[in-house]
Amino acid sequence: MTQSAPATQARSRPSVGNLLMISVIVTIVGAFVVLKPGPAWNMLLMQPLINALLLLTNLVGGQFGVAIILFTVVLRIVTIPFTLRQLQSTRAMQEIQPRMQEIQKKHKDPKRRQEETMKLYRESGVNPLGCFMPMAIQMLVFIALYRALAFVVGGSPESVVGLSQRIYPWTYLTESIPLEQSFLWLELGQSDSTFILPLLVGVSTYVQTRLAATPATTPQQQQQQQMMTWMMPLVLVWITMALPSGVGVYWVVSNIFSVFASYWVYGRRLSWRTLLPTAAATEPKQPHPKVQPDVQEETEASAPPEEREVRSRHGKRRGKRKKHR
Amino acid sequence: MARTRPRLVLAVLGLTMLAAAGCVGISKPEGWAGPAQTDDLLLASTAKGKLSALNAEDFSPIWTFPTGEEDPKIDLEAIYGTPVVTGDTVCFGGYSGDVYALSLEDGGVLWSFEADGPIIAGLAASETAVYVASDEGSLYVLDPQTGRQVDAFDAGDSIWAAPLLADGVLYLASVNGKLYALDAETLDPVWDAPFEADQGLISDLVLADGSVLAGGIDRALHAVDAETGEERWSSKADNWFWGRPLVAEGTVYAPNLDGHLYALSLKDGTPVWDSPFEAEEPLRSAPVLAGDSLLIVDRGGNVYGLDLEAGTLKWSAPAALEKTVLSNPIVLGEEVLISAQGGDLFRVDATAGSFVEVVTP
Repeated sequence: MTQSAPATQARSRPSVGNLLMISVIVTIVGAFVVLKPGPAWNMLLMQPLINALLLLTNLVGGQFGVAIILFTVVLRIVTIPFTLRQLQSTRAMQEIQPRMQEIQKKHKDPKRRQEETMKLYRESGVNPLGCFMPMAIQMLVFIALYRALAFVVGGSPESVVGLSQRIYPWTYLTESIPLEQSFLWLELGQSDSTFILPLLVGVSTYVQTRLAATPATTPQQQQQQQMMTWMMPLVLVWITMALPSGVGVYWVVSNIFSVFASYWVYGRRLSWRTLLPTAAATEPKQPHPKVQPDVQEETEASAPPEEREVRSRHGKRRGKRKKHR
Repeated sequence: MARTRPRLVLAVLGLTMLAAAGCVGISKPEGWAGPAQTDDLLLASTAKGKLSALNAEDFSPIWTFPTGEEDPKIDLEAIYGTPVVTGDTVCFGGYSGDVYALSLEDGGVLWSFEADGPIIAGLAASETAVYVASDEGSLYVLDPQTGRQVDAFDAGDSIWAAPLLADGVLYLASVNGKLYALDAETLDPVWDAPFEADQGLISDLVLADGSVLAGGIDRALHAVDAETGEERWSSKADNWFWGRPLVAEGTVYAPNLDGHLYALSLKDGTPVWDSPFEAEEPLRSAPVLAGDSLLIVDRGGNVYGLDLEAGTLKWSAPAALEKTVLSNPIVLGEEVLISAQGGDLFRVDATAGSFVEVVTP
């Protein structure tokens, strides 16, 4: 009975993150319906991104590479509520896995099982879409950014003609045209022939995925997690080899930002051991419920005494760390 | 099921990214070289990065360069500037930065020159020199017989507009907004200081009645005194002036990327028409005068035949080529020859506004 009070509170008082996310989704969907997909895509995503990139380029003295880095940082700061929500939701989903397993074992009737699952979500304050939507928004921005970079950096005089159609009527924005394409060893409008950038994208994605990974609770989950840990970096390496280097720069900076966000949310120590494929992060073990006090209480009560001891030690460590801050 | 959802979502999103990246490629240079005409030949880029000579009578191909059989292989990437003919030689530059002089007779290479960057601007040539401007801001003066570099000038930024050679003076515009007047022999400045626009000057230069016309990224068309470098007038629009203006009977017809064709008085830049002509798409191609009609092609390949006086469409509807057109057309008697992206050449009847033939070598 003690569980229902905070859960009810969570239901009756939707979080700011939820409201923000819902309003963003409603705005995007509404605009796509009213304006038609093509114009809405251009008006809501492409043009603002293109003009923001041009503005930043002017502000940093025409250095387009620096503008991309600055743009990425600003974008990640603006979307930090979504990022944090995604990380928290992922963690929360992991933490209710023991109870999910119990429900699956206990209820054979699919309808009843679904009801119990939904009840568990409500009680734990977990939104299964909490992982999906932030990622979907980030992916949408990524694709739009890629298109925007293709226009802004160009790579051909034809793309500059296309760019002219997407710049807001403010002469300051065109002061840096044509943009300086050289940045470090890269030509931002072309893919990196040295393969250094794809490698950086792969490594940073791997590190970010490893640090964001929560402890697996079953061998199957561990297997899936390990597969994703390798698959995502490899897919991104392959994609980066075909994309303009500017997109790769965005991806690397974004990953670095995510590493810090993961550290912030999970509070995991940044150790080289965490990055090893065989590290404890993906080894199956019981998770440490932290999202809702009620969930934690119940899980701890049902756990064996040795495990409770491990958890209390862990809690103590975290307490000490907080004290150091 | 719920446990695997985040992983599945990641996998789906990864594949979505893959699809998105695959569907949207990096923009590759295609080229927008317009055709050029000699007594019995037509020179046109009939395929990406290739220049062909066609029989002017029946449009049959005579030669194509590069043939693809050269060793080492020649890849010009794309051709933007209209080829320039001097005597029995045609000169042109590629986006690869290579400049070639070919024999008009058989397309054989007479000489070649490697610039420091892509060549977007057209060339200028006289009997004693070939002027090549690069995207890196270099102007090269080459010996027309050997291709040897004789002199060079640094414009300070990319050059996208074809230099103009007139009365021993070479006019050169750069995307840093500067317009230079240089002695064609010595490359010494003719003006006390270059004319300077607010932003890049990118349209091919035109000299008319003592004014050099230069359009730019600053959304203005500038008329600059050819002797002093002082601005006589400028006219603003809603987008960049990238297309070469046409001057006829004291009127400047200037295409703009805002999709309008502006008719301005050469004397003071005041509008001549009640309102500029509005095309469906941006205008990069130069207007041409064919008979008593003014022809203009927009980026979408819509060809418009306009009344010179009123700026209204003379035909019942524009002729739709349904191809991207960014090149400058040329007039062949009663017809206009338009080179579309991809290499197709369209012959359009300037009076009726109908197709005569599509030439696909």
